[in-house]
Amino acid sequence: MAVVSTDTLLEQIRARSGNGTARVATDNDVVDGARPRFVTEPTDADAVAATLEWASSEQLKVMVVGGRTKLAWGVPSGQIDLFLSTSGLSAVVEHRHGDLTTTVEAGATLASVNATLKAHRQWLPWDPPWADRATIGGIVATNDSGPRRHGFGAPRDSIIGITMARIDGEVAKAGGIVVKNVAGYDLSRLLTGSFGCLGVIVTATFKLAPIAPASRTVEVTINAFKSSADIVADLLASALTPTAIELMSTAAVTRLLVRFESVEQAAVQQAAEACDIVGPRGSSQTLDGNEETAAWERHATHWSSSAGGTLLKVSCVPAELILTLSWLRTQASATGLDVAVAGRAGLGVVDVRLDGALETQARVISELRERLPIGRGSAVIRHGDAALRQRVSAWGCIGDGKRVMQAVKQRFDPDNLLNVGRGPGGL
Amino acid sequence: MDTTFLREIEQIVGSDGIVRDDGELLTYESDALVKLRAKPGVAVLPTSTQQVQGVVRLCHESGVPFVARGQGTGLSGGAMPHPDGVLIVMTRMNRILEIDLANRRITVEPGVMNLDVSKAVAQDGYYYAPDPSSQVICSIGGNLAENSGGAHCLKYGFTVHHVLGVEAVLPDGELIHLGGPALDAPGLDLLGVLVGSEGTLAVVTQITLNLLRKPAAVRTLLAAFDSTEAAGNAVSGIISAGIIPAAVEMMDRVTIEAAEEAVHPNFPKTDAILIVELDGAEADVTALFTRVERVCTEAAAREIQIAETDEQRARFWQGRKSAFAAMGRVSPNYYVQDGVIPRTKLSEVLSRIEALSTRSGLKIGNVFHAGDGNLHPLVCYDDRIEGQADLAQDVASEILTYCLDAGGSITGEHGVGADKAEYLPKMFTESDLDTMQLVRCAFDPDHICNPGKVFPTPRLCGEVPGPYRRHPAESVGLAERL
Repeated sequence: MAVVSTDTLLEQIRARSGNGTARVATDNDVVDGARPRFVTEPTDADAVAATLEWASSEQLKVMVVGGRTKLAWGVPSGQIDLFLSTSGLSAVVEHRHGDLTTTVEAGATLASVNATLKAHRQWLPWDPPWADRATIGGIVATNDSGPRRHGFGAPRDSIIGITMARIDGEVAKAGGIVVKNVAGYDLSRLLTGSFGCLGVIVTATFKLAPIAPASRTVEVTINAFKSSADIVADLLASALTPTAIELMSTAAVTRLLVRFESVEQAAVQQAAEACDIVGPRGSSQTLDGNEETAAWERHATHWSSSAGGTLLKVSCVPAELILTLSWLRTQASATGLDVAVAGRAGLGVVDVRLDGALETQARVISELRERLPIGRGSAVIRHGDAALRQRVSAWGCIGDGKRVMQAVKQRFDPDNLLNVGRGPGGL
Repeated sequence: MDTTFLREIEQIVGSDGIVRDDGELLTYESDALVKLRAKPGVAVLPTSTQQVQGVVRLCHESGVPFVARGQGTGLSGGAMPHPDGVLIVMTRMNRILEIDLANRRITVEPGVMNLDVSKAVAQDGYYYAPDPSSQVICSIGGNLAENSGGAHCLKYGFTVHHVLGVEAVLPDGELIHLGGPALDAPGLDLLGVLVGSEGTLAVVTQITLNLLRKPAAVRTLLAAFDSTEAAGNAVSGIISAGIIPAAVEMMDRVTIEAAEEAVHPNFPKTDAILIVELDGAEADVTALFTRVERVCTEAAAREIQIAETDEQRARFWQGRKSAFAAMGRVSPNYYVQDGVIPRTKLSEVLSRIEALSTRSGLKIGNVFHAGDGNLHPLVCYDDRIEGQADLAQDVASEILTYCLDAGGSITGEHGVGADKAEYLPKMFTESDLDTMQLVRCAFDPDHICNPGKVFPTPRLCGEVPGPYRRHPAESVGLAERL
């Protein structure tokens, strides 16, 4: 790179961006302390592919960015040459409302997609954080989800087709536009949760859900943290069909939010049954309308990036969740750490926010991982101080599948140029 | 096969775990797609992961291809043996290893029958959702390989949505574990690509499945229509109304009559019926069922039967699930096609199929998962009439082009296997297929794991530095150097 001028390189990038733009990076583009040299915004699949092929021929390190809401997750990439932004790819390509499917470009934000789908009372049934900024590509690449994963699944469960650009400049697709399809390998799911380390998602196709006509949320303030385990177990063992069972817990308070979405009568009836199940173990109230919206907005603030601290994604088998979190709370209390929890109590997947001395955090995270054997749980640092991620690995142990994962990465990106180190396990 | 190789295989699986006799090997010549046959070099019936590992490792060291087989109910020749290879029959690995109701998980060996999973937890009020029509006799390992669906997948998803973890033997004999009873194991979603890979990436030896709570309420109706077009409109109407039933199945006159003759479900004598099932919480089902009835009435249903008892519901489903087998009563032979179209194209594609039937002179029955657009046209023919088998094949192929024209897929649940490998390039570009091969090469660089399936003539996985050496896949005629 040193022998070619910045202007020349920029011109070469611009020439491949379709109708998009390219510029020299600024301080606003710094990620994990590293500033890329250039930012490009290609506008179609061919432009993405051409950009990648050129970057590959120049051996430039590329990072894919969308809404930039999760760039600090995982392992720092180190020096990056080129940000490939999907902001030039923001269209809802097609909404086949009669088929309950949509195809969208990777750079479209979740909020904008759902605003379009709403015209036919349908939605992409995800509610991860930052929906107004997070892009479809980024949400798929991280397989990120929110409370209603309980009822509607994660992006992995909705995706039915994908178009991707490979680092060598090839454009490839897999799956299709139909909800049922077993032709060829399921690259859509392979790319989902890959953190962009295998290829750049250009468009993706999803099955959708109808927007339910009515919603009720039962907010339960729980008297004793440990009794939330029994309440959740009883809800799961019942015949109720909640779309969210969300736990929120700090040192001061523990709450559950249990949501029902259906026709009016059914939502009301199920909420009433949920209150009966909780019984005297907590105080329950059923929320609707603005009160319900406000409760969920309060809940979402747990993820707010301004909250600071370390954000861990902790997963374990559902029946052991509260036990695991109780242990964590005890450790935190004994070592002076602040701990707050929010997440999918019914699925055993929660976000844990830690605050306090990094050395102590690192030790507690390591001990937590020892309690979670591979397959039965994990603790991944999503967001945290670089110094913490130097002390303790962001991903923890990946297990004996890592060898094949490395082989897949090597096949897709043999020179290790794409989202370097950002893949799961540091791939 | 090489006698030393066979002796070593026998040492691994024992004398009761190996089949070498020509007559006995005939049993394994094909899966349920009987037109594609090959006698395996040898068949083995391992009883443990260690035995599977031993066999696969030996194949790897010897450059011998292998094919894993479950119950052999597949309809695309995915388990068709390799004539110079080892057939690994998984039926003796059929233990339920752990039932964990607190977490709604069950861990099984791949030879466990699909229905036996649900039976094992039924008394506790749980079940396993994917329900292929062959669920009485098909195994979970085969379901995983094919990403099997079934009537109730419209609401609950396919096998890939319900497999949480596996233990698998890689084509070099190494053991890996992907996923597990907890969600979101860190790492690439290799499990997502392994499910549905039709046995071309690894041999799965343990599977952890998700269980569902039985719904509080189930209501089922059968609506009769004067045309498949009207029934198709009802399907669109239900989906457009924002209702996702547990199942929406359609049968046409040919399959209705066949089912009637075989199992006497007392279906209306009409041109099309829909079976619509709703399940969930009582209040949901009650409210939505009324709306489904209204949609069917508005779509000119001339009769609606509502199952008032479990026996009546079972009668509806027996009629539907027996349809494939029942075709044997109305036609000496039939070819089961499996294609997918967007739901909104049902009427259009069914009209084309009807025209094709008239033009070809072959009766075509339709019984399918209408809710998710998965067609199963049954092309009837008589093998005794010269040329009719070929004609049926051509007709079935043409139906696939209709599916692709409509934006659909060449297979929704039966798989590509050996049967449709040559059709894959009609759906995917060379670049798409090359990209899939990158995955294949990461798992199975020597192409010894179920070779010749899914993909048309595969490319090789890169050159080995140094002097030219014949690739194992070339040696057995499965690949050519490009």
